[in-house]
Amino acid sequence: MLPAMNNPHEDPAALKALQDDIYREKILRARKQTPAERLADVFELSDHQHQLMLAGAMHKLKTRDIHLGWAEVRRWMARLDRVRENGLYVTERTS
Amino acid sequence: MKLEELAIHVIEAAEATGVDFMAVGAIAAGAYGVPRSTRDVDVLVSMELPDGVKEIVQRLAPFVVFDPQVTFDTLTWGRRHVGQTRSAPPFKVELFETFDDPFVKSEFSRRQSVFVPLLQRSTWLPTPEDVVVQKLRWGRNKDLDDARDVLAVQGPETLDMAYIETWCRTHGTEVRLRTALEGIPPLE
Repeated sequence: MLPAMNNPHEDPAALKALQDDIYREKILRARKQTPAERLADVFELSDHQHQLMLAGAMHKLKTRDIHLGWAEVRRWMARLDRVRENGLYVTERTS
Repeated sequence: MKLEELAIHVIEAAEATGVDFMAVGAIAAGAYGVPRSTRDVDVLVSMELPDGVKEIVQRLAPFVVFDPQVTFDTLTWGRRHVGQTRSAPPFKVELFETFDDPFVKSEFSRRQSVFVPLLQRSTWLPTPEDVVVQKLRWGRNKDLDDARDVLAVQGPETLDMAYIETWCRTHGTEVRLRTALEGIPPLE
């Protein structure tokens, strides 16, 4: 039987230390990269994330039709845009 | 289409049109901070060439459908042209027009060329200082995270913090800058 572990979510200081450790690791990893390498990661992460979203959409629709899956992802993205851009963009300049 | 292929199409369209441009948004932030995923290829386009944006839109027509309705951001009233890829995945292209804003003029004049092996070409990016100022100015959660990440990865000691502080004073974003700096844990 594994020994009981402290739950950091019950200890704000431990949670902050854990968050800082995770963030520190991300920063130090990024510091070892060149701008071109970091840019390559942006593209790889973006392509990968969209494939994961496609898988999620097809699972939700219970379909193996990739076109239906992408249509669902497109719908999700349109909804997300409406939420994120609410109040930030308008079609007429008002001042 | 992969996002990098879309980026190549956008760069080629801008270069063929002969307009000055630079990549902004998550691509610029990722080059200097912590890479994160995005669905946008965002580009700031010089308006020195009349009809430059219109020509880019036309050149991208085989790949991207642009909304005929131009939108304005409510922070600076800059003009934005938004397009969606015709094929999957549903990526977006956002073309922002340069305009008569002192900071936009400054960041565009300081843009730098970076060779990206994955794209097999150079592209134009803002400086890391300008990414920080711009992200703090916009101030959405993801912008504030991006600004902190650029500050953390580059290190304030390597950045022209006087330049950043001057623009933050102009934009009234000094508190955001201070919060971003305080959010960086000791790295040693």
